[in-house]
Amino acid sequence: MSISAFALIFLTIYVGLAQLDALSLKIGLFSPVFGGAATGLVMGDLKTGLIVGATLQLATLGVATYGGATVPDFLSGSVMGSAFAIMSGRGAAYGIGLAIPIGLLLTQMDILARMTNTIFQHHADRLALEGDYKGVERNNLYGIIPWTVSRMLPVFVGLFFGSAVVKAINAWIPAWLMTGLKTAGIILPAMGIAILMRYLPIKRYYPYFILGFVLMAYFTKSFSLLGTALVGFVFAAIHVMDANERKNNGPSKPNDNSNDSGNSDDEEVEIDV
Amino acid sequence: MSDLKLNKLTKKDLKHIFIQNVLGLQLGWNYEKMQGLGYAYSVMPALKRLYKDDPAKMKQALNMEMGFFNTTPQMAHLIVGADVALQDQLGMNDENEKAIAGLKTGLMGPFAGVGDTIFVAIYNAIIYSITAYLALSNQPIGLLIPVVGCLAILWVRWKLFQVGLAQGTRLATTFADSMAIFTEGASILGLTVVGAMIPAVINYKLDLTYKVGKVTMNVQSMLDKIMPALIPLAIALFSYWILGRKHMNSTRLIFVLILIGMVLGNLGAIFGWIGSLV
Repeated sequence: MSISAFALIFLTIYVGLAQLDALSLKIGLFSPVFGGAATGLVMGDLKTGLIVGATLQLATLGVATYGGATVPDFLSGSVMGSAFAIMSGRGAAYGIGLAIPIGLLLTQMDILARMTNTIFQHHADRLALEGDYKGVERNNLYGIIPWTVSRMLPVFVGLFFGSAVVKAINAWIPAWLMTGLKTAGIILPAMGIAILMRYLPIKRYYPYFILGFVLMAYFTKSFSLLGTALVGFVFAAIHVMDANERKNNGPSKPNDNSNDSGNSDDEEVEIDV
Repeated sequence: MSDLKLNKLTKKDLKHIFIQNVLGLQLGWNYEKMQGLGYAYSVMPALKRLYKDDPAKMKQALNMEMGFFNTTPQMAHLIVGADVALQDQLGMNDENEKAIAGLKTGLMGPFAGVGDTIFVAIYNAIIYSITAYLALSNQPIGLLIPVVGCLAILWVRWKLFQVGLAQGTRLATTFADSMAIFTEGASILGLTVVGAMIPAVINYKLDLTYKVGKVTMNVQSMLDKIMPALIPLAIALFSYWILGRKHMNSTRLIFVLILIGMVLGNLGAIFGWIGSLV
């Protein structure tokens, strides 16, 4: 099966809009899970799109462009991976396996877009010296072009030659490599988790990390992720109330309450592992 | 907003500043001044109102506002608010130019530290993990969660803008205090979810059996007796550890995980090959 003209144009426009969403409102269009779902919807296999998108989403949870760093383009990866999985009819795991190298390959397009914008910055700098505020405004808006084209072009080309690409992949990639990529897709969410662990103060609040793990691992049947989040919220709320009370009662600094029972009144419990 | 006393800026100006800030801050992002161009775009409605008929001041303001700038977009509203409120009250002169430039560069760093933790790391950990978890079980309804989250964040961003407008330069110290406690609470919630995600989303099961006499043993069910989700936990902790090593970043970690996947995915074949050698 090859891709319809409508789906091709829809997905090309979609990734352009999604990039603008990532830069501004962050409604969600930019996230791999939306990308996979949109692809699945327009190509008539929502389930495959959702699974490919969700797996890539989990892998990249902690990966964000902190301070303008460039990260692999897993949105385009998710769109193309889902599309190739649906075209070939070989299932979500196949799509995930393809999406990873695609996302890595497209990393360079982000750098190219950010470099191109330097041209508009230089224009704007010159116009500012003349006091031309309208010109400055205009040059900021020109930035839309590199941002969107850097996503739309590779997705259009990739999907246009999609069925040929899929055939070539199937002919050339050995079975063990595809099995390996599929397994990599299963364990890849560990990356998103590990980055979040690096970013959050795990050394200070590690008991809550253990609590979440235990609830979910041992009580799989009675707990969902949302349920665990609510338990986490309870402890967070208790902590904030406690800290505020402490702040109002005296100048002593806020104290962490790193106890599973959450109601201990230990003073100055600082845990550093 | 009623208690806010601005001289020249109208309510409409403030709305325009907020919208241009949300939509335009990062459009011109470049390696030279990062959000500098977008920042100038964000405050443009204020500059137009204040210096439209004064080319000298307009030039001075434009050059100052287009300096290097980079922070978490959600936090930028605080700085933009303080910036335009100060210019509304004091106008533009050499002294005020220095004061505002100092405010911008002084606040963008600390605000990015807090903002990246709250609006990026913790927000993504909670919102997108639940969405992806639902999507994995074929429930597209979860896609609504980020949309609702976005609306809530938009409200927070508008409030931060108000705080910036009202507080001016004082916001640096007073706001950072209450923010610290909030960040601690949010970290607790985030870590609970992160811990739960390991068994929830890393669905790897060892597909390996071996024979002792006539009994076939399944390695995974033996591991489950020690602790459920032992291998996912091990992979997550290993990834956490290796990310802390020198010369390691998330893109390189992908290659490490692909390599582990290659080995785990072909375990049966690898053991078969070793067996044939013995």
